[in-house]
Amino acid sequence: MRYIFKFPDIGEGLEEGKIIEWYVKKGQSIESGDALVKMETDKVVTDIPSPKSGILAVLYGGVGDTVKVGSALVEIDIPGVEGEAAVAQAQDKPEAPSQETVDEKDFAGVVGTMEIAGDGAYLPSGDEGRPVKSDAPKTRKALATPVARAMAKDYGIDINEVTGTGPAGRIMKKDIEGHSKSSASVNIHVPMPKASAEGRTRIEPLSQIRKTIAKNMLRSKQSTAHMSIMDEVEVSALVEGRARLNEALAEQGIRLSYLPFIIKAITLALKDHPILNAELDMENERIIYKNFYNIGIAMDTPEGLVVPIIKDADRKSLIELASDIKDLMSRSQERKLTLDDLRDGTFSITSYGSIGGYFGVPVIAYPQVAIFGIGRLTEKPIVKNHELAIGQILPISMSVDHRIVDGAEVSRFLNQVLAYLKEPLLLLAYEGGTQ
Amino acid sequence: MTYDLIIIGSGPAGYVAAIRAGQTGLKTLIIDKKYVGGMCLNWGCIPTKTYLESAKMMKKVRSAPEFGIAGIDLEALSFDWPQAVKRTDAVVAKLTRGIEFLWKKNGVEFIKAEARILSPTKVQADKRVFETKNILIATGSRPAPQNLFKDCLDLEDFSSLPELPQAPLIYGQGGNMVELAQFFSLIGSKPVILANRLPLMPYLDEALESFIQKKLKKDKIPVLLEAESEIKDGMIIHKGKEYPFDKVLNVSFRKAVLPAMDIELELENGFIKTDHSHKSSVQGIYAAGDVSGRAFLAHVSSAQAMEVIEAIQGIEPPAEERQYPINVYTDPELAQIGLTESQIKDKGVDYKVSQYPLTANGKALAEGTSEGYIRVLYETKYHEVLGVQIVSEHATDLISEAGILMELEGTTYDLARTIHAHPTISEIYMDAGKVE
Repeated sequence: MRYIFKFPDIGEGLEEGKIIEWYVKKGQSIESGDALVKMETDKVVTDIPSPKSGILAVLYGGVGDTVKVGSALVEIDIPGVEGEAAVAQAQDKPEAPSQETVDEKDFAGVVGTMEIAGDGAYLPSGDEGRPVKSDAPKTRKALATPVARAMAKDYGIDINEVTGTGPAGRIMKKDIEGHSKSSASVNIHVPMPKASAEGRTRIEPLSQIRKTIAKNMLRSKQSTAHMSIMDEVEVSALVEGRARLNEALAEQGIRLSYLPFIIKAITLALKDHPILNAELDMENERIIYKNFYNIGIAMDTPEGLVVPIIKDADRKSLIELASDIKDLMSRSQERKLTLDDLRDGTFSITSYGSIGGYFGVPVIAYPQVAIFGIGRLTEKPIVKNHELAIGQILPISMSVDHRIVDGAEVSRFLNQVLAYLKEPLLLLAYEGGTQ
Repeated sequence: MTYDLIIIGSGPAGYVAAIRAGQTGLKTLIIDKKYVGGMCLNWGCIPTKTYLESAKMMKKVRSAPEFGIAGIDLEALSFDWPQAVKRTDAVVAKLTRGIEFLWKKNGVEFIKAEARILSPTKVQADKRVFETKNILIATGSRPAPQNLFKDCLDLEDFSSLPELPQAPLIYGQGGNMVELAQFFSLIGSKPVILANRLPLMPYLDEALESFIQKKLKKDKIPVLLEAESEIKDGMIIHKGKEYPFDKVLNVSFRKAVLPAMDIELELENGFIKTDHSHKSSVQGIYAAGDVSGRAFLAHVSSAQAMEVIEAIQGIEPPAEERQYPINVYTDPELAQIGLTESQIKDKGVDYKVSQYPLTANGKALAEGTSEGYIRVLYETKYHEVLGVQIVSEHATDLISEAGILMELEGTTYDLARTIHAHPTISEIYMDAGKVE
């Protein structure tokens, strides 16, 4: 029988993906789980595995083509399955549960189902019985004219965010034009300059990743009430402690950066300040507190910013955190992050100081409510015991969503984080407790 | 007692405004000096179309043998003008009764009298003075009087002719002129067109103008340009050739019919000057339809009237120009909506034209009405349809599909993707939509 495999919604309400590379050819025999194609979605570059074993009968689309979620990707001839069995297999229902487990605590789930390797098995990633994520993709198709729709796509505008002025709120051309003018930061529609002899401009279409960054940044700034606070902390003890630890760990080939210490300090402090590890669900007028600590680490890649997640960072040792960071770092450079690496973050850290910069105003990774920024560690004169001394100063900048996080709360949180960084032994004092 | 609105004139602007005003709860009085329905119902749109239908019927009957109908003595065929008028009167009577019924149903009062605007809040009619908050002037237009001919008729006189002229001279411009010429030609008279200028219908795309000029030539209807002609001994002399005529029908460019007024309204080229919500220069006085000189089409007048009622209730009409079809009831009919090719060129938009002939349409061939085509003009970026022109026996009805398509900012893709029933003439849309 012929099985038509449609490009699945691999999470996060994806709409489309771009074919980067086909691993298979027409007529080739494949096993369930074999990678079929490398796709670039608006989040990651990922391999799409075959859900069935069989012979590839049809491949849809060539390299560079955009495939919509739900469109046919390949057709697979499955030998020996005919008649009723074939019909049963072709149904979009799981036959057997997957061996993979669903992490129940990632309650801010993803709408839709995810088809994974394993004959006929589907991993539900829906949010039945869970709080509905406030920014879940709208299921109703926006009322818009065909040209408005095409323009929105062209301009990289989410049509659901546009207010229609036509009859019954229909989104017209002029609404897209108006929207693109008002949100200049995502207005990628520039009048195509005529090719001039000087070649003063260069036109380059946006990559999926850049489009996503643009969309997310704008959404964060437009959906939250950003408030930032900055401070400095003297971290001589941390510098010294880290040097001693690295010395001790050198034999094992382990080298810790400052980041694991900061993650540790933050996860400990978050437990005392749960509002900073929460999400505001305006639609249902409630706050969703998260009892898990998935810390997003902003990473610079050649394609642009990605923020992969260290899962359950609070339960990991400094060494484990360091190893996770290293792994995420190398996979982000090679564009091998999976969607799983990117979703369900609860708090983010950006260490812009590693490149340069003292203070910053980081943009919250919406719908999270806080982001912690680390500036460049600098030697500075300080006053210690009424005398001038040389201090190791770490500048930090933090942005929060002031809608639910009050200024006093941020200050209290920061005081705690900075206390841990000032005296890293405190991390040991509280680590593993039941607070 | 004070009215919310007094409407002067009961044509397609006035009567539509009255019904809408009544429906929305405005206390409304409508005044007309002559007939309910104005020009459109009594001499214009409706009567001319019923006459034309009679003429087109005659043409059809002539082609009956070709369709396998035997037993008709084509030699004996003649046009029964009094019967055509009788049928027309019945159609008109039915429609005017419908309007009066709707006025009554919606609480609109009607007075048949000559109105005089005494002030922005006072209107005199039938020796009485009525107070009102708003006035809508919808008194229409008439062909400009001309000095060329001593004796000439206009459409108002046409239906009261006891018999039809054998060699009518149709003088003026526009679609009416061509329709009338074809009417006479179809019933066997020898009409001559004396045109003020060329193109005959400047508001149409050049493609349609060119089609109709060729058609007139083919049907042996002379088109003489006024500037190249002289009148001598009851004949038109054009490039040395004599064209006799027995009656003159005046369909010249129209002039506003203004009501009697004791106030002063700002005019523009003789028409009442209005803003985009149809307000005149005097607070509380609106003008819609031909009298404001914006478009000389019944359906546009009605649309303006609806906007007047909205404006009175505080709803501003959209600032942008609205799309409306322009229909010419020639044989075959012409219809157009949106931009013409030269307008698109002027805007500097990259565009393409998809043209599809009726000779490739099954239903048209079956009906024997395959003369014509559709032209779809679209911009090349999103393929948005910017203009549609149709030549077809059914063009004036077919154009509505383009209307809704363009109202919804549709593209050629939408045309191509929409399943059209087979066999229908409307399939030409789908075919024209199939562009690369």
